[in-house]
Amino acid sequence: MNSKTPGDTAMSIAGLGPHGERAVPAAQIQLTQADAAQARARRFSIAVVLHTTTSDWSKQELAGIAATLGLYSAALVEVVDCNFDFELQVAALARLAREKVDAVISIPIGNARVAEAHRALTQSGRRLVLLDNAPTGMLPGTDYASVVSTDNFGLGQSCAAMLSAHIPQGGAAGILGYGIDFFATHEREIAFRKWMGSHRPDVTLVRERFADLDGAGPAAVAMVDKTPGLSGIFAVWDVPAMKAVQALAQKNIDIPITTVDLGNEVALDMARHGMIKGVGAQLPYDQGSAAARVTLAALLGLPVPPWVALAGREVTPSDVIEAYQVIWHLPAPKAIVDSVRAATAAQNPVGRH
Amino acid sequence: MAEEKTTLRSVGRPRSVDAAQASLALLLNLVRTGAATTRQELERRSELGRAVVADRLATMIELGLLKEGELGQATGGRAPRQMRFRHDAGSLLVSAIDQSSIALGIADLNGQLLVEHHEAAQLDAGPEAILDRLATIFDWQLRETEKPAPWGIGLALPGPIEKPAADFETVPVLQTVQSWQGFPFLDRLSIRFGVPIFARSGVQTMTMGEAKAGGGRGLSDIIYVKLGRSISAGLISEGQLHRGAQGAAGMIGHSRVGDELLEAVAGAEAIAREGKAAAEDGRSPYLAQTLERQGELSVVDIGHAAQLGDLFCVELLGKCGRLVGEALAPLTNLVNPSLIVIGGVVAESGGDSLLAGIREAVYRQSHPMVSRDLQIMRSQMGASSGLVGAAQVVVEELFAPTTLQGWVGQGSPLHHPEFQKSLERATVALATKAAQPAGRVAP
Repeated sequence: MNSKTPGDTAMSIAGLGPHGERAVPAAQIQLTQADAAQARARRFSIAVVLHTTTSDWSKQELAGIAATLGLYSAALVEVVDCNFDFELQVAALARLAREKVDAVISIPIGNARVAEAHRALTQSGRRLVLLDNAPTGMLPGTDYASVVSTDNFGLGQSCAAMLSAHIPQGGAAGILGYGIDFFATHEREIAFRKWMGSHRPDVTLVRERFADLDGAGPAAVAMVDKTPGLSGIFAVWDVPAMKAVQALAQKNIDIPITTVDLGNEVALDMARHGMIKGVGAQLPYDQGSAAARVTLAALLGLPVPPWVALAGREVTPSDVIEAYQVIWHLPAPKAIVDSVRAATAAQNPVGRH
Repeated sequence: MAEEKTTLRSVGRPRSVDAAQASLALLLNLVRTGAATTRQELERRSELGRAVVADRLATMIELGLLKEGELGQATGGRAPRQMRFRHDAGSLLVSAIDQSSIALGIADLNGQLLVEHHEAAQLDAGPEAILDRLATIFDWQLRETEKPAPWGIGLALPGPIEKPAADFETVPVLQTVQSWQGFPFLDRLSIRFGVPIFARSGVQTMTMGEAKAGGGRGLSDIIYVKLGRSISAGLISEGQLHRGAQGAAGMIGHSRVGDELLEAVAGAEAIAREGKAAAEDGRSPYLAQTLERQGELSVVDIGHAAQLGDLFCVELLGKCGRLVGEALAPLTNLVNPSLIVIGGVVAESGGDSLLAGIREAVYRQSHPMVSRDLQIMRSQMGASSGLVGAAQVVVEELFAPTTLQGWVGQGSPLHHPEFQKSLERATVALATKAAQPAGRVAP
């Protein structure tokens, strides 16, 4: 019996902010009626700078930002797609610092390479709200208003706990890690290792890294080849996880995998009872909405906390449809619903009426 | 006999090898701090001859400590080549351990923080668990971010740290954490990474961090106040950190407010306790709701309630601010700082009411000359200040002229003869201790 309700599955916030701050839950950031009226009267213009606009995560993040800004008569005047290129981001920020925008919401690509461009934007008089991370050395108040992020540390712990059920005593688990200096994936991996170290000290951890997405499949296969008895893999986000699933399936290898984010492919694989056994999902729509509220509060001159975080949501094959609705604010695609029904029917051939 | 000879030779004129080390150290520090970077400037500032400067620079380029950089400003004739310090020749591991969290990072040899990570941790989990966690994350960070091998560790601990008796000697007993007494925490960490370790109290490293990269950048007289479970202050006066005779300067939480200690009435736990009482007797409806929902209250909840306009919480934080301000005012009159930075969990959550209370008391009780240009601000660096400060501690220790002379000729502090001896001593001492039978032996 699955007695979990969406309320139960929301995790508490385990991680600390980029400067060790205690998180302020996103739900606590609310504008009063007077604030809202003032924001509407001032008709703010806001631009968003993202690493990509094509992923499921980005689309939902943007939807949350746009809908919430709209509620307060703030215009989303530009969305920049940096295509994972830090030079494009630096150029876009330099241009926005001269244009007629009041604030920018940006996700820093990489660490030190983009710090100066972000700093310069704030110095130009625009408000800056960051998503996911602040580059090392940037300070809240001086260099940016706030960081709004999912609790990546909590997501890593959650993936470890879900994978642990599939690892026998004394077994081995693999980490499919990202070979780029990126705060969010680092936090997930550190948390995964910490959870395993304290709850499953019997498990041996091995690790392969990929620098680009095409490397994720071969890295997963290499890890299985090198580690006899490997019983499960944690991939640091959903896209490389599915690359791993495809590469492993081609070699007729079936191994439990947990990962972060409920992308469409991952959701379908879970629904079909494939290799993906559990997901720690971000709630990008809600994160976007929180980022929009924080941005408006900062523009109104209200004090904003330096670190605003959202707990993730655990997803298992048994509640993938409901989780999909909560995370994507959409009905689950038909293929997912059909697969879950087929799997349930196969498990209970008699059926209960 | 041989020993006698050496002793005799060090008297009077310096040995040529000593002189060489001294000139290497002098030139390295001039380049490193940016005081002089071209050969001409170096000759002028060091008062060494052209041939000596050329020889020393060539040696340090070979050792990997310096490199030739871009062309500098021409002053007639060819533009001179600038010398640059190789701040990536090694790295520094830094950590700040607090009552309920740990922070770890890697810095370059200029003390610039390159990566950092913060996580919740309980100090009462014991030294072995914390040591293990530190080593695991340092290993991971070094491997994952592909930083150069470490040259030293800087550590910030909750409470005062005694000054060691000699260079590279670790502090034998940690007074700071009672349950850690007698545990060779610093020795073990130093041996684990094979590098020297330098420890300071958390509030002292945070003060240094604020002075280097926070609100105090470029200022020579600042006070940093940490408001957490305990209350303490750090002081930089005329550019120097003041540690005190026992390394315990700044324990302002022990000043008296009536019959109580300041930290017992204005610390994080005291604020949470007052909040709980108000939730229970109906003085704060907001806190009553929060208490019912969470089952407990922390200073973070009280700060949030104040921000939402809960009158009780606004007044409580204002009162705590005034008490802290009253303890700070005499200090302000004594040292005449240009900036007071307020940090720690109470400052983070306390919002404007707390800051207003502090300002009110300090400005009221300070001499007009002292308060005329005095700024009081909340820290923007959070726990990162402890890491930046810890890196600064290691930089200052490793590049202190006398220490630098001991290793500059070998290219790395890890080859400093005193450090190697102390590492050996510590390793032997730990091995002896480990070999002793466990448990109590009957007398």
